[in-house]
Amino acid sequence: MTNLKGYMGRVLFVDLSKRAFSEFPWTDEDRKRTLGGKIMAADILLKHITPTMKAFDEDNWLVITTGPLTGTGCPNSSRFNISTISPLTNILTSSNCGGDFGLTLKRAGYDAAIITGRSETPVHVHITQDNVEFLDASELWGTKTGEAQEKLKQYPGRLVIGPAGENKVLYACVFSNDRTAGRGGVGAVFGDKKLKAVTAFGTKLPEIYDEEALRELNKKWIKTLKNHPLTGRQLPKLGTAGLVAPMQAHSILATKNFSAGRYDNFEKVSGEELAEHHLVSNGACTTCVIRCARMCKVDDKIVKGPELETLGLLGPNILNDDIELILKWNYELDEWGMDAISCAGSVAFAMELAEKGVHDFGIHFGQTDNLSQMFEDIAYRRGEGDLIADGSKRMSDRFGGKEYAIHAKGMELAAYEPRHAVGHGLGYATANRGGCHLNAGYLVVLEGLGLDIDSLTHHGKAALAIMLQNLMEAVSGCGSCLFTSYAVFPGFLVDQPNWPLTKIILAVFPYVGPVVNLLSHFTKAPKIPLPLLPHIKAVHLATGMHTDTSSMLTWGARGYNTERIANVILGQKADADVLPKRLTDVQQNPDDPRTKVPLDVMRKVYYRGRGWKHGIPTYHRLKTLGIVLDKKYYDEAVARAMRED
Amino acid sequence: MATVTVKLFGVLRMDTHLAKETLNIEKIGDLFPSLNAQVDKVYAENKANDPTLEHPDPLAYKHTVIFINGDRCKNKNQRLNDGDEIWLLSPASGG
Repeated sequence: MTNLKGYMGRVLFVDLSKRAFSEFPWTDEDRKRTLGGKIMAADILLKHITPTMKAFDEDNWLVITTGPLTGTGCPNSSRFNISTISPLTNILTSSNCGGDFGLTLKRAGYDAAIITGRSETPVHVHITQDNVEFLDASELWGTKTGEAQEKLKQYPGRLVIGPAGENKVLYACVFSNDRTAGRGGVGAVFGDKKLKAVTAFGTKLPEIYDEEALRELNKKWIKTLKNHPLTGRQLPKLGTAGLVAPMQAHSILATKNFSAGRYDNFEKVSGEELAEHHLVSNGACTTCVIRCARMCKVDDKIVKGPELETLGLLGPNILNDDIELILKWNYELDEWGMDAISCAGSVAFAMELAEKGVHDFGIHFGQTDNLSQMFEDIAYRRGEGDLIADGSKRMSDRFGGKEYAIHAKGMELAAYEPRHAVGHGLGYATANRGGCHLNAGYLVVLEGLGLDIDSLTHHGKAALAIMLQNLMEAVSGCGSCLFTSYAVFPGFLVDQPNWPLTKIILAVFPYVGPVVNLLSHFTKAPKIPLPLLPHIKAVHLATGMHTDTSSMLTWGARGYNTERIANVILGQKADADVLPKRLTDVQQNPDDPRTKVPLDVMRKVYYRGRGWKHGIPTYHRLKTLGIVLDKKYYDEAVARAMRED
Repeated sequence: MATVTVKLFGVLRMDTHLAKETLNIEKIGDLFPSLNAQVDKVYAENKANDPTLEHPDPLAYKHTVIFINGDRCKNKNQRLNDGDEIWLLSPASGG
């Protein structure tokens, strides 16, 4: 139980092998230390993992966590997180989702659920306030995600996998309503455990420390989000798809397996095309006031339309300009239960291998007639689809082409071509879960898309990456949507790109790196209030915990460092923060030597800023962040990481 | 005078209902009065069908990200040539 408000005070532990459940010990001290969400999950996993543990081991834990703001009425705070050892990368993945499951888990009286073991037959786990039922899921097994959810519609909060998860496609995902815990193959871990579905039901609500003050804050917070040019105008009107045109303008629209940053036919697959000709209505996660989801018509059904990543990676990146096909494929991938980013990235890599005459998978750039069939083959691991189901890294291990296998740590990159946004490239390389644009710190929003700092300079990028990675880690830990953090950029800077003052501020921005670095490193120092980051005050008002800017930065840094040392224990090597050579050694523009990612220069500054050596947190750094590890265990892990294979 | 093509993207396009215009202007600074006249015209047409429609904010150099033939516009005095393609964008985010 807990003396803190905002939390439910219980963590559920479910063993599928024994068909048993119990309460996992989790104290208020743990809550204060780890906040919630992915930070809490990383802390739990760090204490559980061993150097030899793998994703498909029976005792790999699925850790499903909510945050202290989940279910408190704060805007955009229905998020939950699933962390586990990823079968795609063999290190930790954390996958965030906006479906209803997080809210219902809390209503059942739990802040988190840990699932371990393996069922012999397909199972549906149903969590209620007093009980956990292990229901036979034989009839659900084999269903697509839509059908599975339809069959479980009496349960308000659902997690399901599709055939891709059942067949252990390494980038299979988990669905809750039409939202996805997409990245890193959590769906495959579900499938390995024969876990087809998890549902939850309850009627509990978290107590709030200062309900009236939180209600007042929420009113202001909603107003801020609705008035901000990004969260109040662009995202509701165009969704993330609205990025296609700016990415084209700034040469960061990944094209033909990241060999270019612009695509002549971009307008046909743009957010404007989607909004003007295909949008039926806006959709939203529960409690969201931004409403960025695009509901579109596919085969006479109204379904969630594609995000920017799917438009980019199944459009320009495979030389396809047919948006109707992208809508259809997006729906199919959701139904099979596969991460569109990793699947589309692996498909583009397969196409380039075919073009170079290395191996013909039967799919080619610009050829679209057989891709639906290929997606099905991937989901069922049939024929060539079985190879693509393992992702780009394993394909390159087998066939070669490592310099253009577009992944980081085994996870495929999102649709942002980083040679024209080099800080974003550093983020991709250093992100703990691999080539993820959000875990990267999403620097591209500063490098041309939202704000306009010099996208080709390396100056200041390491410090900004650390600061944004930490902040986004903490926002995620609250249970809030990461998009709420965009409102931290003052509206006038976003709204008036050609105002002289904006230009002066943004020109100076890259050179404040050392100051930003100090704030990120000595996280206990900054006490300044950040009115545009209301999460800080909201956590205080919801839980009663003392919070300020320094708490947010400390939680963020603690989460990032916990995940990193866990990855090292799981076998991540020293200096593993790399990108494929296409992005670091080949100029995007042959006439401009700055159009490649100067990773070595930025990484050196980044490691120094983080207090890491060769990408590994020092023991001292871990200790200052309150991450406790046995020194001998730590030294052994570091020695393994430094050892050449 | 140069005959140029202007394309609008993002919120600018959603608000003004203008996607593409051909204009005769000398420099970037001349763009906005010409475009705003067009915005007024389109608004008047649309208002007839939808009386609840609100007039969009006027387009302005200060609020707009501008590219000319794929390169960032340097300032509002930048001169234009026949056949130039101008993109007007609004800041964006996502993930």
